[in-house]
Amino acid sequence: MASKITSSSTAEYFSKNLQQVGFSSGTKAVLTTLKEAVDNSLDACEDAGILPNISIEINKIGPGTMKNMDTIQVKVIDNGPGIAPDDIIRVYGEYLASSKFGRGRCSRGQQGIGISAATTWGQLTSAKGVNVISKTLKMKKAISGTIEVDIKKNQGNFKNKETIQWDRPHGTSVEFFFDGRLQLQGEGGVLTYLKGTSLVNPHLELKYKINEDEEVFFERLSTEKIKIPEAVPPHPHTLKLGEFLAHAHLFGQSTVATFLKRGFSRISDNTIKLLEKSGMPKGIANRSLPKTSDSDLKKVYSAIQKTELLAPNTRSVLSIGEAALAKSIERLGEIDFFSVVSRKPRICDAKPVVVEVAIARFVSNKGDNDDPVTVLRFANRVPLQFDKASCAIAKAIESVNWKAYGLQQPKRSLPLGPYIIAVSVVSPFIKFKNASKETIDSSDELVEELRLTLMQAGQRLSRYIKKEQRAADLERKLQHIEQFGPILIQCLGRITSAPKARLEKANIGLTKLLGRDTDAAESKLQDAVDKHQKLQERIKIRRGAKD
Amino acid sequence: MATSRKSTSIKIGNNRDIPKLSKALCERMLADLEKARRPMLEATKCSLDNAVYNPKVGFLTPGDKKVRSELNVSSVQKLSRAIFFLEILLRNLETGAVNNKRELYYIAKGECKHNKDLKPLDFADQSESDSVVDFITEMLECYREELNVFANDRGGQTYSKNLIVTEHMADNEKAVVDLGSLGTSPFQPKNKPQSFTLKAKKGKLDFCLVVESEGTANTLVSNGFTKRNNCILMGAQGVPSNAVRSWAKTIQDQLKIPIYFFGDLDAYTIQNIYRTLKAGSAASLIRNADFSAPEVRFLGVLPEDIKKYDLADYVVNPKDAAEFRSLKKAQDALKNDPFFKDKKNKGVTHVLNWLIKNKRRCEQQAFFMVDPKDPLMPEKIIIDKIKRGEFL
Repeated sequence: MASKITSSSTAEYFSKNLQQVGFSSGTKAVLTTLKEAVDNSLDACEDAGILPNISIEINKIGPGTMKNMDTIQVKVIDNGPGIAPDDIIRVYGEYLASSKFGRGRCSRGQQGIGISAATTWGQLTSAKGVNVISKTLKMKKAISGTIEVDIKKNQGNFKNKETIQWDRPHGTSVEFFFDGRLQLQGEGGVLTYLKGTSLVNPHLELKYKINEDEEVFFERLSTEKIKIPEAVPPHPHTLKLGEFLAHAHLFGQSTVATFLKRGFSRISDNTIKLLEKSGMPKGIANRSLPKTSDSDLKKVYSAIQKTELLAPNTRSVLSIGEAALAKSIERLGEIDFFSVVSRKPRICDAKPVVVEVAIARFVSNKGDNDDPVTVLRFANRVPLQFDKASCAIAKAIESVNWKAYGLQQPKRSLPLGPYIIAVSVVSPFIKFKNASKETIDSSDELVEELRLTLMQAGQRLSRYIKKEQRAADLERKLQHIEQFGPILIQCLGRITSAPKARLEKANIGLTKLLGRDTDAAESKLQDAVDKHQKLQERIKIRRGAKD
Repeated sequence: MATSRKSTSIKIGNNRDIPKLSKALCERMLADLEKARRPMLEATKCSLDNAVYNPKVGFLTPGDKKVRSELNVSSVQKLSRAIFFLEILLRNLETGAVNNKRELYYIAKGECKHNKDLKPLDFADQSESDSVVDFITEMLECYREELNVFANDRGGQTYSKNLIVTEHMADNEKAVVDLGSLGTSPFQPKNKPQSFTLKAKKGKLDFCLVVESEGTANTLVSNGFTKRNNCILMGAQGVPSNAVRSWAKTIQDQLKIPIYFFGDLDAYTIQNIYRTLKAGSAASLIRNADFSAPEVRFLGVLPEDIKKYDLADYVVNPKDAAEFRSLKKAQDALKNDPFFKDKKNKGVTHVLNWLIKNKRRCEQQAFFMVDPKDPLMPEKIIIDKIKRGEFL
């Protein structure tokens, strides 16, 4: 007898597959919850044109309900625009309820899964939903309560809902209790995440307190509000046939021509003429879209693929900028050198992309030359902390010949040394390998663009390292003269049995000879020092100009 | 390194009075320094890019390239070390003391330890002191043995029933060795200059066979090769040492008999062993005249032997680092090594090309598989090949 076929709600699916969205271990659960809350806060502030102030509290408050787990409290408070009362329940209690889904903007959140998954994880492990307080500017009082996901129906339940006085004009506070493991350092560490977030968000004022440790405060480094570029319609060359047909079915009442011109970027009246030359049936352009058959739409799709179109517009891409990166890189620790490169937006796989790279050397770890460099990866200004090996960024770093820039590098591996290599990829259409957005898929074009940016940063780094090496080399040579000159004379004297007077004369001659070299060496050394100072001053000026 | 005023360079002739030459060199350096001029030391460049193959002489000779070291801040350490080491070597020559390179490394370290003024010269490892000794020999264009620096004896174990070797000692004594009376022991030349006179006990010897593998050479002798054949049989023990090379040359020059080399069919053997025995090496350009036997012929294993005797051969695995390096070196040799570029050696060049193209190798011991029950089969094949003229 055939088994009965049932259907599940989206929430039911995700509640059974939370590992797919970043809850595959206790460590990941802490990081994903924190990340989703911070992403939402930053996106909301940027959408509303508010400079973000975020306050984070993380506490280990006791043993967890599961084996080898602790109960963790994560609380994130922001000064964002707040959430309208009707929307709160959907944001935290319903899957795929997003204002950002598929809209082609460089926002951190995309699908409306993450924060609902965090609520679900809390529910499943500690039987507690998320405590939310939110207030918009228009509201006199804030709304407070606990939201839980109704897993069967994929909708939120608002419990203990009440209005309260809140000490801020607008903002949102979320508080989760769940089973997890609090890891601070290392690639999957909370501190690594917070430092990374502060690096690529120089406009962020961040306070955080973890357990009983002292509160840490990252001052805002840039008062420039982030202008998120407007969304652009998709480029027709980026869609698969099925997506194209679905887009046509959902577009509504219009002609095929209007659908093509408004539903996609880079299609104009002239392009439609070109499409007809490429095989689009004549007259189809003016036909009603809903009445056009799928077989005709397939012909339109096929004609589009055969036609050369302008590359997608790159104005939809947001960059952090060299100046901002140069300032925020010091948030990572005391550094004595850095180079930042922000490339112009490029088209990779028919999608606009901006790649930015920052390389810095930590003073505290200067002698630490045997460990691989620290790699910080970012996608749309969100740190990526897991599954580094299969990420396009890691692949690109390994493919660069860092030896040419003065770093040690085992074959096909990360370079070695007390360096940090931070790589940011921003695009309205980043292709992740999984729903938990841990790694960027490595297409050849993207890896090549990453390589070029890394090589540019490497060239700047090499100029610095070479100056350092030259200075050290000259120092060494100066020492050589003092050490080896007298030995040479003494040995020559013994072999030739020369009298003392000759040796003294030779010594004077040697001093003269090597003195010329010494003068030249000192002058070169001074030159190297001067050049280095000028470089530092240029960096200071560049950073100062943005203050 | 520098190339400026030729007038101050010190050229060393072929006169081998090392102490005198060394003192003259130091005298010139001191005189230059007194005049506040930069002394410059010049040595023949001993590398493949300065190797010339003259088919008439049959070995690699040095070209015109020189390595010049002028005193400056960069070279003051190298020159100080060279003169410091020269002093040690001259002391050895004066007292008659001899050392190998390892011992010299420790002697130099000892000097630096006991004299705090010399501390900056200290050597971190033997490769540093070895390169100084090599620089001195190149500068004086002499053999290291002339500086009483000797290598360990390796290879050259020689067997014959019809060879008498007379060694002329430094004290004018003579030592006569009848190789036929040594029983199972071989005669072995030393890795230092020796003066020999060779002659056959009866009549004239037919040939000399140099076998790459010392083990296979011993097996052939144990099975009676030298009893049945009026010959000399020598084990090379891999890449031939100076002793093997000069001993082969002595046999070639004094006995005027054909010399055949029997070894593996692979790029390493042809390039590193056979070519060094026949024409010397790039590292010893200034000494190849005494350390090569240009009349040596390559008896095999030849590519055609594989088919003729149905020998087991192996595919060269390019993933094996050593084998890959060997093939890469063979390709470089065909492009850059004047020995392989000369048409006189086209036979062996052809074999090298065959090895690169077919990526196969066959070992000398494969002759033992032709008739497993007959221990004499390898000898029969070798003699047969010599008779038929199947060699390069």
